[in-house]
Amino acid sequence: MKLNCISMLASIVWAIAILPLDLTAQTNAGAATKPAVSTFVQSMIEKAQPAMVKVIGASAGRVQGATTGFLVSHDGLVVTSQGVYLDGKRVQVILANGSKHEASILKRDRQRQLALLKIEAETPNYFELAERPVVQQGDWIVAICNAFKVADKDEPISATLGIVSLQTNIEAKLSKRDYAYFGELLLIDAITSNPGAAGGAVLSVDGKLAGMVGKIINSSETNTRLNYAVPAEVLHRFVFDKPTGEPTAEGPGETGVEQSSTAKKSPGELGILIFRLGGKNGPAYVDRVKRGSVAAKAKLKTDDLIVSIDGEKIGNIKDYDAAVKNIVAGEEVLVIYKRGRKLVRTRLIPSSKGK
Amino acid sequence: MRPTKLIFSRLPVLTIGILSLTFGNAIANGQSDDPLAQPAENTAASVQPQISEFETMALTARAFRLAAKRIQPSLVSIESFGGVSAKQGRIGGIRKQGEGNTTGVVVSSDGYILTSTFNFIRQASVVTVTTFDGEKRVAKILGRDDTRKICLLKIDDVTDLAVPTIKPVNQVQVGQWAVSLGVGYGDQTPAISMGIISAKNRIGGRAIQTDANISPANYGGPLVDIQGRLIGICVPMNPQSQAVSAGVEWYDSGIGFAVPVEKFKELIAQLKDGQRILPAFLGVQSIARSDGGGMTIIRVVPESAADKAGLSEKDILLSIDDKPVNDMLRLRQVLNRFHAGQKISIKFETASKSGLDGGQEPDQKLNDKKTVTVQLGSPPTKEKPSDSLEPPKIR
Repeated sequence: MKLNCISMLASIVWAIAILPLDLTAQTNAGAATKPAVSTFVQSMIEKAQPAMVKVIGASAGRVQGATTGFLVSHDGLVVTSQGVYLDGKRVQVILANGSKHEASILKRDRQRQLALLKIEAETPNYFELAERPVVQQGDWIVAICNAFKVADKDEPISATLGIVSLQTNIEAKLSKRDYAYFGELLLIDAITSNPGAAGGAVLSVDGKLAGMVGKIINSSETNTRLNYAVPAEVLHRFVFDKPTGEPTAEGPGETGVEQSSTAKKSPGELGILIFRLGGKNGPAYVDRVKRGSVAAKAKLKTDDLIVSIDGEKIGNIKDYDAAVKNIVAGEEVLVIYKRGRKLVRTRLIPSSKGK
Repeated sequence: MRPTKLIFSRLPVLTIGILSLTFGNAIANGQSDDPLAQPAENTAASVQPQISEFETMALTARAFRLAAKRIQPSLVSIESFGGVSAKQGRIGGIRKQGEGNTTGVVVSSDGYILTSTFNFIRQASVVTVTTFDGEKRVAKILGRDDTRKICLLKIDDVTDLAVPTIKPVNQVQVGQWAVSLGVGYGDQTPAISMGIISAKNRIGGRAIQTDANISPANYGGPLVDIQGRLIGICVPMNPQSQAVSAGVEWYDSGIGFAVPVEKFKELIAQLKDGQRILPAFLGVQSIARSDGGGMTIIRVVPESAADKAGLSEKDILLSIDDKPVNDMLRLRQVLNRFHAGQKISIKFETASKSGLDGGQEPDQKLNDKKTVTVQLGSPPTKEKPSDSLEPPKIR
């Protein structure tokens, strides 16, 4: 009952606050007559708006030169998404009050497509970047993002409600030649995969920053656009960690640093010849097993279907070829193959190539 | 004058403001009673813990998680090997199918699994199923229902798979919470998305519509209520087309479909035998009559159900199974409720023989009404439909 009294009191205060606005009194009344179930989310969104910014820069072809961003410090640090809009001569940031500021780019993370901007402005309105995950699966979230550049100047940015679908590590791509996103992300069921939405804020319903709306990417698993957020803790690392030795450092070829170590080791061989007449997309059936090879010792036979090598799914011959390239002599691999209607698991130690 | 007027105009604002907020609280508290009765502190019956709006949302979020947890033991992850590459062919700008796992739902403890036919567009030569315990097994694709876009899989050597609790269709209500799940994002933990039931009896009464995101990430997966009871299997659907992939273009759009499984016991029995259920095809081309009394037939496909029923040009189609058909849409709606092989009764009015002879006066007594029962056929296809989803072995 006490709580209820307080909210009653709050509502009176709120109603009084409406009083001095003569012209808008009627429209406010209209809004107030709706059942106020969502006042909680409403006030949360209202509170978040002053920390949201619009980022404007260069455009390229059909890619529009604007996106969303948000403040993460009192002295004008802005987190946004990496994109063509940051590649022009000047980048501008529009604050919630409509004021325009020139921005400098402090750093970028091309792998996760993040950028940190700085504007010369003091503001009490910014989001704290949490070091730990803010939300879990099923939690309500509100995504505030300027998809399709609907809001201009001092207009508030659009908000959409949804839940966290999945916290996962995912591999995604926009197209063959574009970037791939590897790493932790929050899949959400609010639709955010639209131009201009990237860099938006994903908030928990208590107003904490849970993540940043990511760029439009396609899931290679489903071939659909992903609605996702880069989690707050990843943003925290990006903003506050020193760039030394980090793969986040700017420069060409910064991705895939960790993979270079395998090159020194000698490539391994299993002794399997795959049936290739079905084309690259055909399943990886064993055509022949080399006599005396590792595979022969493990009793692999013609017509076995290779289903998995070292945890990697072998969906077709292309997958098989890619997996075999990574095999190292002497390093045990787990091979799963199908014989008849049974799946058989076997561990093989590859011999070095040419033996 | 003016100030008084202003005060008057503001007063209602104040009261409405208070009322609506109290009402809001009442809803948040889960009390649907008269909100004005709420402040009566001494009524023992209304002693309920006060729940803030934030807590209410936290509870709903928890309910979503619990619903997912309940259905999870009945979910399987399906992998395909070989077949057409995902990069080949597009449907309305959307590439057909991803390379990742797809979802299925256990429907019997001895290894029958329902999933969406969409998951086999690529005609994989081998399909494996990973059950909740992490075991991967080779699955056999049995029959399919093209009208519901679902198909049945079977895995052997299992006895105690978890079968989901089914929410009867008649208990599903428009507006209730709905949660869709799928393992399509490559993780064994399914991704969940929430929404409400938007409509029932869609697509010829076969599907339930929801605004929870339905996409290739959860085709074949379940749509459950907030208690984790199975409402239906998520499938791509489009009322205008029966193609396997029709409806994919609406993924994540707020227009999603799930086909209820409750009524399907006999259907599952049919699919177990490897049958394929095809959409119904009557075989008439007709135009609506201007007076709204049935439809005039302008063409009859030879050997079709209509042909067998004795329908011919200029006859007037009146009703199918006592449901009057007055226009194309209505005819499609009525026919959509059947599938090939089912029997229907067709009521029609024959055109008089003399009318066909030309030159002569049309016969005045046209009203020779007939009712014929006939078995529905399936639409003729340019290429012969393959009998199963499993393509011929490469070798």
